[in-house]
Formats: sequence, structure tokens, C-alpha cells
Amino acid sequence: MYSRWFLILGLACLPAMAQVRVDPKILSIHPFAGQRGANFTATVRGSGLSGATSVVAATAPMEITVEATQPEPPEAPGGRGKAAINLVTLRVKIRDDAQTGRYPIRLITGGGLSNALSIHVVDLPVSPEPAGAHDLPDSAIAVTFFPVAFAGRLARRGEADFYAFHGEAGQTVTFEVISGLPQIASGGSAATIANFDPALSLYESGASWFDPQRLKRIAYNDEPMWVMGSPTDAHLVHRFAKSGDYLLRIEAFAGQGGPDYSYQLKIAPGTVPPDTAAPAVAGWDERIYTRRLDADRLNQLAARGGKPTTAKSIETYRAATEPASFKLPGTIEGALALPGETHRARFHLDAPGDLAIEIETPGAAPPFFNPIVRLLNAAGEEVATNVFVGRGACSGAMTKSLQAKTVVPLREIGEYTVEIREAASDLTSSQFRYRVQVRPQVPHVGRVRIDTDVVNLTPGEAKAIRVVFDREEDYRGALSIAVDSLPPGVSASVGADYEPDSDPPSTQGKRERYTPRTEHAVIILSADPGAPLLALPHEARVVTRPLVDGKLGAELMTKMLPVMMVVKKP
Amino acid sequence: MKRTALIFLLASTARPDTQLLSLRTLPAEASLQGARATQQFLALAKYADGTERDVTAEVEWRLSRPALAKLISTGRLGPIADGALTLTATLQGKQGRSEVRIAGAASARAATFTREISGILTKRGCNTSVCHGGVKGQGGFKLSANALYPADDYQWITQGGVYQVLSAEVKGTPVPRIDLKNPEQSALVRKPTMATPHGGGKRFDLDSDDYRIMLDWIRHGAPFRDETGAPEPKLTRLELFPSTVVMTAAAEHRLLVTAHFSDGHKEDYTHESLYTVNDGEVATAAAGGVVRARRRGETSILVRAAGQVASIVVGVVGPPVPNYPELKRTNFIDDRVFEKLRQFRIVPSALSGDSEFLRRVCLDLTGTLPPPQRVREFLASSDPRKRERVIDALIASPEFTDYWSFRFAEIFRVAIFVNGLSPKWSQEYGEWIRSNIESNRPYDEVARERISAQGYSPATRHFLPYALIGAPSDVMAEEVRVFMGRRLDCAQCHNHPYENWSQDQFWGMAAFFSRMFRMGSIVMDHPANMDLGSKDVGGKIELLHPRTKVPVQPALLDRSTLNLGPADNPRKELARWMTSHPYFAEAAVNRIWGHFFARGIVEPVDDFRSTNPPSNPALLGALAEDFRAHGFNLRQLMKTIVSSRTYQLTQAPNDTNRDDVVNYSHSLPRGLDAEVLLDAVADATGIPETFTTAVSDGAAVGEAPRGTRAIQLRNPDTFFSRFLELYGRSNRGAVPERNTKPNLGQALHVLAGSSYVERLAAPDGRLARLIKDGASDEKIFEEFYLAALGRLPEADELRELKQVLSQRADRQAGLREFVWAMTTSREFVENH
Repeated sequence: MYSRWFLILGLACLPAMAQVRVDPKILSIHPFAGQRGANFTATVRGSGLSGATSVVAATAPMEITVEATQPEPPEAPGGRGKAAINLVTLRVKIRDDAQTGRYPIRLITGGGLSNALSIHVVDLPVSPEPAGAHDLPDSAIAVTFFPVAFAGRLARRGEADFYAFHGEAGQTVTFEVISGLPQIASGGSAATIANFDPALSLYESGASWFDPQRLKRIAYNDEPMWVMGSPTDAHLVHRFAKSGDYLLRIEAFAGQGGPDYSYQLKIAPGTVPPDTAAPAVAGWDERIYTRRLDADRLNQLAARGGKPTTAKSIETYRAATEPASFKLPGTIEGALALPGETHRARFHLDAPGDLAIEIETPGAAPPFFNPIVRLLNAAGEEVATNVFVGRGACSGAMTKSLQAKTVVPLREIGEYTVEIREAASDLTSSQFRYRVQVRPQVPHVGRVRIDTDVVNLTPGEAKAIRVVFDREEDYRGALSIAVDSLPPGVSASVGADYEPDSDPPSTQGKRERYTPRTEHAVIILSADPGAPLLALPHEARVVTRPLVDGKLGAELMTKMLPVMMVVKKP
Repeated sequence: MKRTALIFLLASTARPDTQLLSLRTLPAEASLQGARATQQFLALAKYADGTERDVTAEVEWRLSRPALAKLISTGRLGPIADGALTLTATLQGKQGRSEVRIAGAASARAATFTREISGILTKRGCNTSVCHGGVKGQGGFKLSANALYPADDYQWITQGGVYQVLSAEVKGTPVPRIDLKNPEQSALVRKPTMATPHGGGKRFDLDSDDYRIMLDWIRHGAPFRDETGAPEPKLTRLELFPSTVVMTAAAEHRLLVTAHFSDGHKEDYTHESLYTVNDGEVATAAAGGVVRARRRGETSILVRAAGQVASIVVGVVGPPVPNYPELKRTNFIDDRVFEKLRQFRIVPSALSGDSEFLRRVCLDLTGTLPPPQRVREFLASSDPRKRERVIDALIASPEFTDYWSFRFAEIFRVAIFVNGLSPKWSQEYGEWIRSNIESNRPYDEVARERISAQGYSPATRHFLPYALIGAPSDVMAEEVRVFMGRRLDCAQCHNHPYENWSQDQFWGMAAFFSRMFRMGSIVMDHPANMDLGSKDVGGKIELLHPRTKVPVQPALLDRSTLNLGPADNPRKELARWMTSHPYFAEAAVNRIWGHFFARGIVEPVDDFRSTNPPSNPALLGALAEDFRAHGFNLRQLMKTIVSSRTYQLTQAPNDTNRDDVVNYSHSLPRGLDAEVLLDAVADATGIPETFTTAVSDGAAVGEAPRGTRAIQLRNPDTFFSRFLELYGRSNRGAVPERNTKPNLGQALHVLAGSSYVERLAAPDGRLARLIKDGASDEKIFEEFYLAALGRLPEADELRELKQVLSQRADRQAGLREFVWAMTTSREFVENH
């Protein structure tokens, strides 16, 4: 009796469930690399891709057409989710004059515009991985010439691909394996999540006493010192001590594999720097160690706070073991050449003021170079530092982290000393170079971020876009967010959404000295019920500006946001 | 470290048949200072068969000037008046003489706590760890173990109060243990004489010297030290004679205990010491150092006095071995081992056969079974240096690097939870170990880098269990355990109950690690002259003694301190000290030795204690010296060990060494470790194991590349393996010990587990290939014997196998059962 009611209820729900539209999502492209001028077929694997009609590749120097779409056969191995998977066959023709690089592409499907994955244009011939398994030396893929690139795939869990080549004594060769999957920044759980962190090993035929076929590993690379958030692609430069036949093995860090585990292998003579992706957002980020602390910094900051840019340039001074003197605002620079070396520089504070101390490390950043900067008063007491101390919310244990910027209110006039040293007293390097800028605080808008990548709307539908921004140095002004160039029938309005509370750490420390005040705003994009459908994405423009003293300042960040109007049910 | 020379003495109940050659007395010279001083003398007879026996109780003792001294008991002299005399022992016409000088015989110095009372409390066992020397004492009365802290003991006795482990505060109402107004009513004398009920029983009689001394001490106001108030010399070392005693059953032997003091003088402490035997079934030791043999075996005797412990080895041996063979020796190891065996009347087993040697050395050096073809070649070779050559080949093999990377990854604890919760960090740390093994980096350099690592280097990752800097106490205890072979952990909360390590020493060492801090991803040593916290978050960079709550400064185990700058890395200096200390080389060679012989010279290999002495100190010392002389070269050490005849002895015992498990007189079979066993099963059957990364069975995410061996797994704790769990792979999250006990799960797995069942049924394994190639039964038997056992089947084994197989209707099923039997046999699962 009950079962019949459940059946009826279930059937009643079916239409509603079926109407839930899934945004198209590209999981992988294979192969994802081609030489300039190349013409090749690539397969896009993803969900919600049925009915893919065309490709959007805004700046890509290539023509890409959709040749076919089909559901992935159910018996296909691997797969990363339970959603139905589609395979889209693309014809890619790269222009002869294309610049090398990574070019994001999106698919236009009945469900809207997909996320973006990149096709890499390289200046090497790209050979496809021959069919069959290559996970034994006997079945290694022969590499007959350098430089060359291969488009390979670790098609199942535990798969490793061998490549065989000849190396000459004294020859230096660069090997690089680039993952086709977006890198997971944390990487720490690589053993238990489906990430593709490629690793490469170089072997020679060692012929051990046990096994005449035994290989001897002569080099290995899986990021000799991995840094959280950094790319996990494998890059190895090796100089061969003797001539002979060698093998290269490619595998995933924790033995993952599947249809999406596509990679590009580059082998080139000489020393070639890693082919790293450009930063996802090339915007303002004042809390990274590699940003340049220019002499014009005060004006740059003033512009982000909606103020006139009339400040004088900041002078640069050399710091060393013997204390040097400088004037505010000032930049001190130096290099810690010896283990345990401490540099100092002094300044006189003529009047109480709020200072900002920013640190730039042009050669190496934490965790390799860890500059501790302290500001000491005339009595030698620490009044500010870039070491943020707090206590963890869970354990209550003291936590410390180095920050690239700190702010401090100084109320006592007099002599102050800036002290710089490496945290690890035994370490030194020619890259331990620093620039420390001490200047008055300038209230301004810091980083502005919009994570939304694409907006697919159906008539009558609305979606929220979150704009996250930092208030730096006590910026109290407003932030203007404007959206223009919207497609017909789509409007933007201001909104608000839920911000869940989180337990603060038991002892936060003076967090405001080390981290900006981060806020967010919400823009709602809503489509009229009668909004016309779009065959191609329409690029809306999101513009942010500071608002101070009743005036809008200069543009801080502009983001082009593709918007599609699609039917409810693809 | 000063080591007493190894001296063997043989004691026997029966007078030997051989002729007495000479007699000597020990000590040859003695000085008695004060009325209380006594000196025990020994008489040692040397016989024509080369043995020397204790005849103290058999000789006639005579004094040249009886007015100056008297014999209190057998061979024990007490002063009467000042002067010099000669003590003569006579036996069968032979004489031995000692010269004695007596001074201050008339000065009956008052007893003090630091000397006499502490000595009595130790000698009578009052301050042992099972009595008042336990962590919390007994019956509300606490003493420091073995009188390590006389000032504390004095306070408990004269003022009373209940000891607290985590506080120096006295708990409860203080009740003194002495009564200065009525000394005879003092608990200190009433309890041990059972005048008042005493849980510890009677410790001495009312008419004993000890009772009189204690009572006099109370009567004289119970002084802590002598009336001048000057600090009394501290007992720094106990010297024992002999260091090794070899006795026949029911024989008796006296020990001589000499106490060395901080001012350079020495005293006889034979009758002031407490003797404890580790194995009372083998021998007993009575007050006054009289050792009596009981049955054949080996044990050690611990001698405690006034804060010091020393030990001797006692061997109770069988009858003399007629025509003891001349033994061939390869290197100094054989010299040291065979020397002791001869003294202990044990004849080492014969040299192992080629099959036995080859399988053993392959498993020990590389964790890998020798392949059948190599076994055939080795057996067929007539090269007299073939063992040497194979040793060189194995040590140079990539399998050696795999295996010892695995071994040290275990010792150094490569595991995600231990290495910052990060598989990447864990792997980098593992790769650091591998590169050290591959390049045969000197072990002292490896140790220094690991102990003192800073910044973001791979070696620093082991300081981050659960992504936090480990507690200084834990980190220090691990480094000392790994590199010095000592377990200090007990001293964390209280003075070590069985050892001379004090709580102060523990925390002094821990303080070297107390400034370590994790900042972001790096490990740093916080400058000593800065606050750990900030103005906003409190925190001081100091380590407090858990009991006294006083800040602890870094101090080495020998209690010396270093002149460290506030920003220096204190661990760097500690690492230098540790790796130059004799403990370092001893611990390293013992660990490696233990791997090759299934038993360390000190066992467990990381539990060096004066109460757990080495079974062959001379061997340990020689190995350590050789290791140092070769620049802490691990490969050289291993080569020296496996090249020795001692290592290459067969496992088959003879009548003299059947019961011997500590003297390396024959090879001891030992079970293969889980990883090695699984690889061996894979090798023998020809079916590699598939390892999947998963947190539980069936939840695989990744998979190790095809052909990966268990010992090659990177981050092995991310690979789930029912086999490895069942067979007790070590938990690297804690002290990496293995559970090697057989269990029901193993039995079930052998019968129905995938490791066996799926391999037997596999279509592409060794058996399937042989069948497919049309191999005869005999060929198949031979191949599996070679692959699994490293030998050819004996004729009777072959005959029996053929007979069993002929009775099976299904040949393939019969052969599968044969393979199953081979890979589950004791001979297969053990290295021998």
C-alpha cells in the first residue's frame, strides 16, 4: 500500500527533477596541445555538453569547430562523477602565426556556455600517444628527436607511460609534464582526491643482479619542494653523464588516472624554464611578496582610495648590518647574505601617525625566504612586526604566519628601528633580497574579486554574483559596482545574501594589522520571462570604483562576464 | 665513555683437574681511610688449562700485622690502627699478596645522609622503583630512585610530606620519618626492622651495622652532610670486577665493586651495593656480591649504589668442550664473537651452505628473494670469492636502495600524519631519505641534518606531526631514541625508574627543541631573547620544568651546557654533540646488527640501558669503532657484517649452542616483515601485487604503477592493504614497532585471502607459464623451490611431492596446492 503511494509521489516529482538545468561543464580536453599551424581533432569530455554547437575562443589564434557530440558509452572506464558524460569532438586548426600560450575555450551548448579550459599552443611538434598501454619499458613510446611534445593520457588508475630516447653524454635536456586538469591549489589531499599532479622519473637500464631488465632511477621530479598553491606540474632539467638509452616514466602523484588525465609532455634540449600558466586574475594584489613597491606607491594607493595623486615619490635606501638612517616615507633594500644576518635601518618619527610596512621579496618568497621584519622603538621594544600571531580556533595552539604587509599606529614620536632577518637562522641564499617600504597609511580599496566565470540564464531566472573586496588601511568609503552591456531582457540589481557565522579564534591577535577587512557585495542578474534567447554569449561588463567624498574614483577592476540566455531544458 | 675491560673469569664448584699455576689477590693495593672503611679482597687462582677461578673462600688469609686490621668476613678487611700491612692468601703452596695502608682508624666520623644513609637505603632496596623509589613512592613515603636526589630524599625523611609528580609542592601534612627526641621511635629504623608493620618486610636486623649507623645518625641530629658543611664528593662511577663472569652450574663467584668519587678517591663498595639479577633462574647474587650459578644460561647482574648503576654479564656454562675446534675467522667480528663463545664453551655452528647463505643475504640486504636463475648460477659456481662478489653486487643494486630507503623510512617515520598531514611533504621527506641511502651519505651527516633541520627543507617535515610542531619532549625523545638508542621517555614525568636519567636531564635535553616553532610552512627556532607571542597574544619562549615550574635551559645528557647565542639554532650544537658521542655509533651499529641477526647486541635495539647491558660489549665497541673509522659509512658497515663468518653460520645448531639465542653462535630464523613477505609471495608466484590508495578497503582513488613492490611504496600509509595490516606493518604514527605475533586473521588470509587465492588462480603467473610451456612436474617443483626457498628440493622431498601429485586427479589443482604450500610454509615465511 505504502509502496504504491511512494511510486505515485516519485512519478509526480519526475518532471520537476527533469527540469533542473545543469550548467555545461568541461572536465577535460584531450589532446589539449598543438603546434602552431597544426590541425587536429580533440575530444572534450564533460557533463551537460549534449547539443554543443560551437566553441567560444575569444582571443585564441585558432579555428575550432564542433564535429560531433555523443554520450559516453556506459562501459567506458573511469569517469569522475555520476552525471551523464558527453563527448564532444572538436576540429582544431591553429594559425601558423599563433603565439604560443594557453587559450581558454568554452562550448556553447543547449544548456548555455560552459566553463573554460585551455588549449595550449606550442612551438613543438605534438605527437599523439600511440594506442595501447605503455606502462612497461618494453612498450615505451619511442622518442626519436628533440624538441618534441607528446599528448598523452593516463587512462586508468595506476597507469604510467614510458617514453624511450637516446641521450648523449654531457647533453642537457629539459622534461616537462603539464597536466590538462585544473590544478587543485591545496594539493595536500592528493592521495585521496581525484587530482592530476604529474610526476616524472628518468631511468637508465641498470640491469641489477636480480633482474637484467631492472631500471635504475637516475632523476625524479615531483616538485622537490612543493609549495601549497603553486603549480604541481613536473619539470626536470637533467644533464646526462653518459651516452645511452634512457626511459622517462610519467605517472600521477598518487596513482590516479582516468579519461580526464590528459597531459602534455615536452622534451627539449638545453635548459628551458617551466611553462606556467598566467595568473588566473592579473589584478591588484598588494599582499603578495612579489608585487613591486614602487617609488610611486603612495599615488597608486591614493588612486584606489579615490583621492588625488599628488604625493612625492618614495626614496630608496640601502640597509645593512650596521644601521642606516632613512626618512619617511622610505624604502630600504638589501640582501641577507650570511646565515643569521640581521639588517637594521633607523628613522625619526616627527609626529604621531599611522604607518604601513610592506615587504617585497624579488628573489624568493616564503617559504624559501622568510623575512621577519620588526619595528623597534628607541628602547628596543618591538612595536610592530610582520609576524601575525594568533591562536587556532580548534586547538588553541599558537599559530604564526609571515605577512607581506602590516599596519601600525605610532603615537610616540622619536627614533625607530626597522630590523630585517631570515626566520631560519641557519639559512642563506643569494635570493634573500628584500625591499621594505615604510610609509604613512593610505586608505584604499585593495583586492577586488569576482569568482563567477559565466552566467547562463533561462527566461525568468535570476542569479547572484558575488563581488568580494578588501578595505585596506581603514578605507571607509563605498565601492561602486556597475554592470553594463547586459543582453536584452536581462537586468542587474543590488542584492544581499547570507553570510554564515563562523567561530572566531579564541585569541585572534590584532588581526586588523595583518589582514584587510574583507567584505562582499551581491549583484543579481535577472532575466525577464520574455527575454530573448541568445545563440552566442553576450559579454556584460562589471566595473568597480571607489566612492569617496561624493565622487567616484578611477576604475579598480573591470571584469567581462559572458552571459547566455538559454531554454530551460536543453 | 670509559669502558671496563672485558675480563672473563671462570668459577667452578669442583677443583679443576689441571695444575694450579699461580694465585693473585685483588685489589693488589688498598687504602682504608677512617674507622668505617672496609675492603673486600678476592683470591684468584690460575690453572694450567688457562682458566682463572675465584678461590676467595678456599684460601687461607693471613695478615702480616694483625694488630692493624682484622678480617671481618671472608676476604673482607676492617681497620684497627693506622699503618701498613700485607694480606696474604695461600692455596696449595701458592701465594697471592695485597698491600694495605690504613689511616684514620681511630676517627669514627659521624654518619651523614649523603654517604651512609643514602647508601643503606640503596643497599637495602628501599629506593628501588618497586618500593619507595617508585614514581609516587610507597605508603606516602617517597625516595628518589637509587638515591639520585639525596637532597629531596633528606627532605622527605626529615620533614615528611607526600610527593607530587607534577608539582614540587609537598602534599598533605608533613610527618617526619625520624624522631630526634626519641631516635629509636623513628619510622626510618622501626619500619625496616619490622618493629612497626612494614609492607616492604624486614630489611635489616636490630643488631645489624646498618641499624646502628642509622640510629647513630639520628642521635647525632641527622646531618645532611658532615659537620664542616663542605659538599661531599659525589660518587661518579662504579667499577666492577670482573665485567663478565663465566661459571659452571652451582659454582660461586665474588664480585668486587669499587666506587669512584668526584674528588678522585675510590672506596670499596662491595658491601654497600645492591645486587639484582635479571634472570634469577640462571644465577643469584647475594649481599656482598656473592654470585651463585644455578643453571646453564646467561644473565646480567645490576649493581646499584648511591645514584649509580653498573652491570656485569654472568654466563653459566656447560662442561668443557673437548677438542674445541680452531675457528676460521673473516674479520674482527668473528674475533669478538668467537672469543666469547669459547669462554662460554659454545661451539659455533658450521658455515652455512650456499643456498642458505644466498637467500639470507638477499633478503637481509635487499628484502628480495634471489631469482631461480641466480640461485642456479651461484650453486654451480666454484669461485672461492663468490660470496664476496654477490655481497658487492647486492650492496650496489637498486634493490638495496629500495630496501634501505624503506627501512629508514620506517625508522625515521615517513607517514602523512607525522609529516604535516601532507602527502607531498611526506613524499619529499621520503625522497630525502632515499637520496641519502642512494648516495651512501655518511650517517652522521644525515643525523645532523635531521636533528637540526630548519626552514622548508624535506628533513624539517618530520617535525610536524598533525601539522604542528611536536612537543619538545616528544621530539627530543625520538631523536635520542633513533640516534642514541636510549629511551628517555620515562624521565619525562619522573626520574627514570630503571636508569640514571633524571627528570632534569630529560627536560634539559628537551629544551634544545623548545624554541622550535612552525611559522606558516617553515620550521624555525624562535630567538631566545624575544617573546614567543606578541603584545596581543601572550606567549613566552621558555620551557618550564613540569614539576618545579622553573624555566629549563638546554643541557646535554652529561648536564653540560652550551654557549648559545639567542638567535642560534640550538639543535645544531646538539646534533654535533650527539653524533660525536659514543652512543651515536653504538646505537647505529647495534640497529644495523640487529637487522642482520634478528637480535641486537643490545635488545631491543633502541633500548640501551645500564640495566640492559650489551650481550657482547667488546663486539659492540669494535663495531662502533670500525663505523667511526670508516666515516659512518652504512654500506661499509653492512658489508663488514655480512662478510663475517658469524653472519654466514648456518641456522642448524649443535649440542653446545642449541639454547643460545644471544651470542650469535648460529643463525636465528626470523619471520619476514609484512612488506618483504608480500613481495616474496609476489615474486615466487610471479604475480605482482596491486596497491591502491584508499582510506579503506574498496574506496580506491589511485593505484601504484604496475609492478610496484611493497617496499617501494611512497607514502605507504595511503595504500590500503589487508595483507600488510594482518601481517603487522609498523605504525609509523608512533614508535615504529611491528606486531609480529601470529594471529587468526593471518591464518584465515592464508586459507582464503586474495593474496594467495587470486594468485594461485591467475592465468599469467609462474605456475601458469610453466604449465603452458609443458614443464614436467619435477621442473615445476624445482622452479618453485628455487624461487621460494632459494634451493633445490632434496631427493626425498621430490619423491614425496611426486607421489602426492600423482594421487590427484586434477594435476593443475594439485600443483596449485603445491604452490600454496610452498608460499605458506615456515621455510618460506622465515629468513634463516
